[in-house]
Amino acid sequence: MISPRQRALVEFVLDNLVWFILAIVLVIFSATIPNFFQTGIFVNIIEQSTFVGVMAIGLAIVVIAGHMDLSVESVAGLTAMITGILFCARGIGMGITLTPEWLVLPVSLIIALLAGSVIGGINGWLVVRLRMNAFIVTLASYIYVRGMVDAISGGRSAQDLAPALRFIGIQTLAGIPLIAWIAVLCFAIFTFIMARTPFGRHVTMIGGNPVAAFRAGIKVDRLVLIAFILAGAIAGLAGWLLAIRTSGATANLGIGMLFRAFAAVVIGGVSLKGGIGQLPGVYAGVLLLSSIQTAMNVMALPVHYTQMILGGMVLAAVLLDTVKLQIRQKLA
Amino acid sequence: MKRLLSALLGALAIAAIAFTSPAFAESKGKIYYMVPTLLDEFQTESVKAIEKFLADVGYEAVTLNADNKTDIQQSQMNDVINLKPKAIILAAVDFNALVPSMEKARAAGIPVMIFDRQITSSPSDFTSVAGTVEIGYVAAGEIQRLLKEKKGDVKGKILQVLGDPADPYTLDIQKGFEEKMKEFSGVEIISLPAMQWEASNAGTIVADQLVANPDIDLIFVHAAHLAVAAVASLEAKGKKPGDVMLVSSNGAPVGLDLIRKGWENVEVEQPLYAQAAAIAMFADKVVNKQEMKPGTYSVLGLDSTLTIESWGPNLKIPGAAITKDNIDEPRFWGNMKAPTDPVKPVE
Repeated sequence: MISPRQRALVEFVLDNLVWFILAIVLVIFSATIPNFFQTGIFVNIIEQSTFVGVMAIGLAIVVIAGHMDLSVESVAGLTAMITGILFCARGIGMGITLTPEWLVLPVSLIIALLAGSVIGGINGWLVVRLRMNAFIVTLASYIYVRGMVDAISGGRSAQDLAPALRFIGIQTLAGIPLIAWIAVLCFAIFTFIMARTPFGRHVTMIGGNPVAAFRAGIKVDRLVLIAFILAGAIAGLAGWLLAIRTSGATANLGIGMLFRAFAAVVIGGVSLKGGIGQLPGVYAGVLLLSSIQTAMNVMALPVHYTQMILGGMVLAAVLLDTVKLQIRQKLA
Repeated sequence: MKRLLSALLGALAIAAIAFTSPAFAESKGKIYYMVPTLLDEFQTESVKAIEKFLADVGYEAVTLNADNKTDIQQSQMNDVINLKPKAIILAAVDFNALVPSMEKARAAGIPVMIFDRQITSSPSDFTSVAGTVEIGYVAAGEIQRLLKEKKGDVKGKILQVLGDPADPYTLDIQKGFEEKMKEFSGVEIISLPAMQWEASNAGTIVADQLVANPDIDLIFVHAAHLAVAAVASLEAKGKKPGDVMLVSSNGAPVGLDLIRKGWENVEVEQPLYAQAAAIAMFADKVVNKQEMKPGTYSVLGLDSTLTIESWGPNLKIPGAAITKDNIDEPRFWGNMKAPTDPVKPVE
């Protein structure tokens, strides 16, 4: 038998396991990799977590709701390209300017969010109304949305983003880039929404047991639809940030991020069966992946190692999840 | 019924016009262009150039996009072989994996022309390349010059950002570049690949390396669209144009823009228009299986050398180094001014 205090401690460790792993990994990297332990590297880790991190928020919400969204990467690519085409001055950019100049910021953001919401809404509608499988629906979106990127860009790129937008990609606040703050803010807002509002609690309940949630009077279809729209909008935000970071857009921008977002979601402790998961854990998962990527870059190791480590970590995360479940059952 | 009849008559009239038009009457047949991807500007522009130049010499070009997937390109090759075109132009996704498909086409009597991505392990009917290894050589020469101008000697730290590590194109450039740089012991090269040629991956590499190795003198990226992300990272780190030298390859419009803005020093261009024009110039010889004479040929004004190699006739067109001094020359495809004069078949 363990005391209540010990039990609370074990629960705390289990709930925040990925943060402990992140801390251990950072300590090991700092101690063993030359040039790793410096402020600039930690800032880079936070900054580079931005895009996959933001994308992972929407993905995690849909997964917690018991579904799947494979389209987030392509949606981000689409909104990056739309932002690029409208507000870049070179390449295929139309170089649209607004007066006052700062207006470009909210206008481009709204366009990106709307474009993402539309794709998310189509996904959600097909899943909720037509009862189509979310995996298939979003797989189709993953393909056709990337096709849209290719079609609207003609394979060409847009560069030289409006200075008012580039400002966000260049400026820092307390030594951390503004785009990274946006990601942190998103995690804070959605952590609050998922943990403290009826919407978040209901989405989690739906993911755990949709029938029970329905019988409890929760509007399951409506909330699932909202979850998909949110995932699309948040992916739209990720694309907007990507365009800002790279000062434009290419047709293949964002490719490969879906799997990193998925890895972060799983490593962060979100159950692919739905109903379980917290967004801070997802952020820790993203930071962990970004730390490994940065370590590889600093060591100039072949990128294949990153892929192997990434795959290994996803497996380890699933194993850990099983172990956590068993420990919790023993504690109960 | 009346509506149906008029629709049928309309369709017949359109067909009659199409089949009796001079363009159709003069067509020498279809040539399929197997483009590896349409997600980069070089490939997109190559489609336009090949279609235009082949039309100049009387062929109709049909383009199939493999979306950077080897298996898709293999399937496309199999499909096209059944269609029995006059020839196939192959820009292979994978240099080795497409060899069996190429051999199958040639065994079926369909000539195969290699465009841009050289295949030397099996015979083909004609090759038009700038030479990816040679692009590495040109880049090395320019980088040696830049380092000498800045530091008085060929020494310093270079960050080399490759494309996808599974793409032989980038590996060949790396091979050529490092081969020419190895004699300079004072040069340290840090090489990292941008997975899937994705720009933000290149940006991440540059951001990390600028912190880990703040004394980097020069960044060499293997594609111009990666240079844009590299510049974004430099800018985010407070660098100004010229603080860190930048060299890129392929000659895309974005690279030329960066030179004009002072961020980039040299763009090593692949002579896209000349490579495409050469395909059209030699198309008759290839289709009619006529002998090709080795020697120097002028392709859009570039002296190009045709040699007969173990894999077949090989036309090598010189790649050029674009700097702020020659950037406005229309021969560079990055200026997007495709030649309007029609090309003529070689005698």
